[in-house]
Amino acid sequence: MAPIEVTDLTKAYGDVLGVDSLSVTVEEGEIFGFLGPNGAGKTTTIRVLLGLLAPTSGSATVLGADVTDEAALIEAKRRIGYLPADLGFDEEATGERVLKYFASIRGDSRREELLELFTPPLERKIREYSTGNLQMLGLIQAFMHDPDLVIMDEPTAGLDPLKQEGFNEFIRAERDRGTTIFFSSHVLSEVRRVCDRVGILRDGHLVALEDVETLLDRGGKRVRVQVAGDGTGLGELEGAKTVQTMGEEHQFTYTGEYDALLRHLAGYEVVDVEISEPPLEDVFMHYYGGTGDEEETVAANTDTDAPPVNDTTEVTDA
Amino acid sequence: MLEIARYEAERRLKGTTALAVGLGILALFFIAFFPSFADVDMDSYIEAFPPAFREAFGIEALASIEGFLAVEIYQFIWLLLLGLYVAYVAAGTIAEDVERDRMDLLLSLPVSRTRVLTEKFAALLVPIVVLNVVVPVAVYAGVLAIGESIDPVDLAMVHLLSIPYLLACASIGLLLSTVVDRADVAKRIAIAAVFVLFLIDSVAASAEGLEWVANVSPTAYYDPTAILVEGSYDLTGAVVLLAATAALVLVSQFQFRRSDIGA
Repeated sequence: MAPIEVTDLTKAYGDVLGVDSLSVTVEEGEIFGFLGPNGAGKTTTIRVLLGLLAPTSGSATVLGADVTDEAALIEAKRRIGYLPADLGFDEEATGERVLKYFASIRGDSRREELLELFTPPLERKIREYSTGNLQMLGLIQAFMHDPDLVIMDEPTAGLDPLKQEGFNEFIRAERDRGTTIFFSSHVLSEVRRVCDRVGILRDGHLVALEDVETLLDRGGKRVRVQVAGDGTGLGELEGAKTVQTMGEEHQFTYTGEYDALLRHLAGYEVVDVEISEPPLEDVFMHYYGGTGDEEETVAANTDTDAPPVNDTTEVTDA
Repeated sequence: MLEIARYEAERRLKGTTALAVGLGILALFFIAFFPSFADVDMDSYIEAFPPAFREAFGIEALASIEGFLAVEIYQFIWLLLLGLYVAYVAAGTIAEDVERDRMDLLLSLPVSRTRVLTEKFAALLVPIVVLNVVVPVAVYAGVLAIGESIDPVDLAMVHLLSIPYLLACASIGLLLSTVVDRADVAKRIAIAAVFVLFLIDSVAASAEGLEWVANVSPTAYYDPTAILVEGSYDLTGAVVLLAATAALVLVSQFQFRRSDIGA
């Protein structure tokens, strides 16, 4: 049985649907990225999987346990780790005390090994922890009982790129030793480097389930070119969409071959060029453009475009 | 088993110690005043209180050390202030953990909601028991120090029988903690509820034909003045309080099991 099986899951808060008949299966030993803009229902789904929220309809199982069957879910939780988006540790306790507490209930066979990788100041009170230290403590508690499945809600939010690479390496290694990893994110660039598969959630339902390469191929690249002189016709290229021109700067999303793009650009006097991964919302736009939800998407786009985090991807491959 | 209770109890220990020392000193302070009371004509002093006030604070025999302790320490501090305190603290147990996202992590461990709630409630026995062990020692020593005497059995019973009373107050807070989302609000309602019940008991007892209303208040089942002054122990009352506590904990469990956490 797959570690996570969600079937037609709906969670309503009054009249609002947090999750709308969502079906998704996470296979054993994979890193699954649960992708979607803020408010898409990622956290709601995760909370249902942990039994914190009761599903309105549909069903979900984790490690074979029905999430509405408390006894079965408790048994499953011995083999599940959870890293919430907001780490609610007892602020007055030391890191050491919290780990000891969790260990007394769930075990800590891998604690020492993890403490070699992550080094939060265990003797200090959690109140004094920085975001990075909190995150490290969170990762230790999520993995120290050697779980078969780890569920993480926005685990890399707030990590700087270097730490993020370390995190990616860590979860790849965890996957290689057989742990199934399910994590949510709203940043595509973060997910694509580490996930085997991604599910894209939007407005409470799954709009795509892809392996990462397919998703990126179809999502295309964001190309930003600055040319000296006449830039006429720069955007007229097979595979270029939503061309925007601001003075000398041209920006478009490109889904074609690099060679064709480079040949095309060679005809201009290029001052600067940047080829990067598009923000998640852009992927939606081009992937699902014209589905009637466009206005909404555009609005959401300006929203998620604001923080630079979406643009941190280096100039890739080109 | 009991890992949650042990952890929670440990968290409460520091505050409890401070409170025990504080209340012990306060009790000694009151007792030190007693000798200077002896010169006052106590009977006419008592007569001067309105009947409802006399009822509320069990003022019967201020002139004796037992009556004095009953009013100054037990009716006021134990019955009213500690009752409010444990209800307040209990009202934070669940609601605060949910509000601060601590419940998410706790429930990601292999524990049932019933166990979380029951063990957190059990940890409230720490302040309740510690105060009832430390303060009587201070009181007894204080009474001997001013050259008075008091029946140690009565003193022990006034503390022992306060435990069911305080548990009942705590269970009121616990229920509110599972019903009200915001911890601050739950705590305030808990204080208001226990205070209103205290008043109901006082007022109804002196209202013709409405005496039965007083029976809804936990204060009706624990009477420190009767224990200290008359040496009569309301054991039935203690059983009623324990039964009410059990019932309220069960309702809280039911409520907590069916609620969405952090929805």
